[in-house]
Amino acid sequence: METAISAGIIGIGLGAQYALLSLGFTLIYGILGVINFAHGGFYMLGGYVAFAVVNQLGLPYPVAVLVATAACAGLGFVFELLVLERHIDDHLATMMLTMGLYLVMGTALVVAFGTEPVEFRFPVSGSWRSGGIYVPYANLVVLCACLAAIAAVYVLLYKSDLGRALRALADDRPVATALGLPPKILFPAAFAVATGLAGFTGALVTPILSLHPHVGDSILIMSFMIVILGGLGSVVGAAVAAFVVGLVEAYSSIYLGGSIGALTLFLLVLATLVVRPTGLFGRQVRAA
Amino acid sequence: MHNEKVSTMGRASGFVGRGEVATIAVLALALAVPFATRSPLVYSLTNQILIATVAAFSVYIMLRMDLLSFALPAFMALGGYAIALAAKAGITNLAALLLISFAVPALVALPLGSLVLRLKGTYFVLVTFAFNEVLQLLLFEVPGVTGGSNGIAGVPATTFAGMALSSNEAVLVVTCIIGLLAALVTAGITAVYRREFAAISENETLATSLGLVTRRYKTIGLVVSAGVAGLAGFALVNMLMTAHPSSFSTMSGFSYIVFAIVGGRASMLGPLLGAAVLTTATQMFSSRGEYSPALYGILVIAVVMLARNGIAGIRLPYLGGRAAPRADGQPLERAEKTT
Repeated sequence: METAISAGIIGIGLGAQYALLSLGFTLIYGILGVINFAHGGFYMLGGYVAFAVVNQLGLPYPVAVLVATAACAGLGFVFELLVLERHIDDHLATMMLTMGLYLVMGTALVVAFGTEPVEFRFPVSGSWRSGGIYVPYANLVVLCACLAAIAAVYVLLYKSDLGRALRALADDRPVATALGLPPKILFPAAFAVATGLAGFTGALVTPILSLHPHVGDSILIMSFMIVILGGLGSVVGAAVAAFVVGLVEAYSSIYLGGSIGALTLFLLVLATLVVRPTGLFGRQVRAA
Repeated sequence: MHNEKVSTMGRASGFVGRGEVATIAVLALALAVPFATRSPLVYSLTNQILIATVAAFSVYIMLRMDLLSFALPAFMALGGYAIALAAKAGITNLAALLLISFAVPALVALPLGSLVLRLKGTYFVLVTFAFNEVLQLLLFEVPGVTGGSNGIAGVPATTFAGMALSSNEAVLVVTCIIGLLAALVTAGITAVYRREFAAISENETLATSLGLVTRRYKTIGLVVSAGVAGLAGFALVNMLMTAHPSSFSTMSGFSYIVFAIVGGRASMLGPLLGAAVLTTATQMFSSRGEYSPALYGILVIAVVMLARNGIAGIRLPYLGGRAAPRADGQPLERAEKTT
């Protein structure tokens, strides 16, 4: 029983991290119609920037997280503005462009930090215990930060003018543009919000998990699985699917073993697609 | 304008472009390499270029339908592991192994295709990407069959008419035969279904509404593309004498996609040129091998932004130019929107 509760807590923690990651991914798809292959790259970049700020500049960890978020958002903004924007309507081109960016980012990180995992520790140690249940404080901090960030994204999208503008552009780009919304500023901004989220997640999560230049691959696949399950472009779907995936992963790794869990997850995703080809919460799929 | 275009394509059906002819000729000439030189460096490079070309052909078939499949390394692994297991079981005949390496991934692609090709393009990309990862996991999960992380080592040499093809020359000859066969299959499928593939690529909704059963042709394309990938897996395993999970990583899939795109997707000359140029470049800078993904990344961005028809499109516009699905590099939908 205690194992089950612990697994549940781990699952919720994982779910929150996955939710942050896939929110960024699904935002980019929902608003720009772009599959961002560099998403895992931004996650790694966030982790490494935070690592460098803490270890080389000696600044406190919360500052490092902010710097990492800003750096990833900045790079995302520039990349969208200068590169993606011109090919925004061609889904194959945008995939290739983001894939190219991912390859460059991965190499740059290998050159700067080497191929070996780096030693990046969460500043808070110790854990909370009650009976046989055991939760590291670090996971609790990350969980709270993730939930706060998810709430912030919700407010940004549904309660702010920027969010309203972005959703209008996502719904009907020509009409929204004709009514005076400037896609040339808003698209890079949306991309920056999403890559900033990926960087924030990376800075927050890599000290608990691991940080090496190939961690982006598995992050990318995880984001894919979650957005397929939740429905591409759906923010609520991504959040719900992230917690489902987190819990499935936590329980299956305890009761079934690591890679069986991943296989279960893939079968679950495939089964969902057979029954509901647009995912759990997906609406009309953007013409591709 | 539309009618004009369709009627041109009608005449072009079954037509094999100059790019295709040139590609097949080059691959046939490659058969002379093992007889012309004994340099191990040349052998190794030719082997690598040919394997990369075959893999890039598999990407190319899908690109003709404007589909990007990341399942390529998975299909290569299926072909490679299938022939490794067959050879271990005593089936070493070249013709039999060619058939097995093509058929096994093709048979797996058939049900997978009927499942995932219902999905819109973007979902298709994501599912093929995930499929790849799952196959990697499976390779580790059933060590009794696949050898797990050790792979299958000491794969017996292919035989032809009772003769073991184990020398360096013979291995290269096998790779050349595979390259030529894959080129013929690719040229065949893209010529026979030229109109169907072009229609799917230009505007799938329109093609479906005009009565084209697009799903059937997409499945045919995926199945053949998987078979060609299996042939590449055969060549790779035959060269290394080992079937190992690391030969079929996601990153290798990225590379083959880059070869096809950087080379150009107007004709088969593109994948060949892309594979030849980039494999050679990687070899030349092999002391700085860790930089090659960045080189690939920059090249892909540059090609997408500056020259949609790739190297083949810039350097040799008269070769395969007729086969260009989008001569102006603009998707049809977009051109319509702006007018």
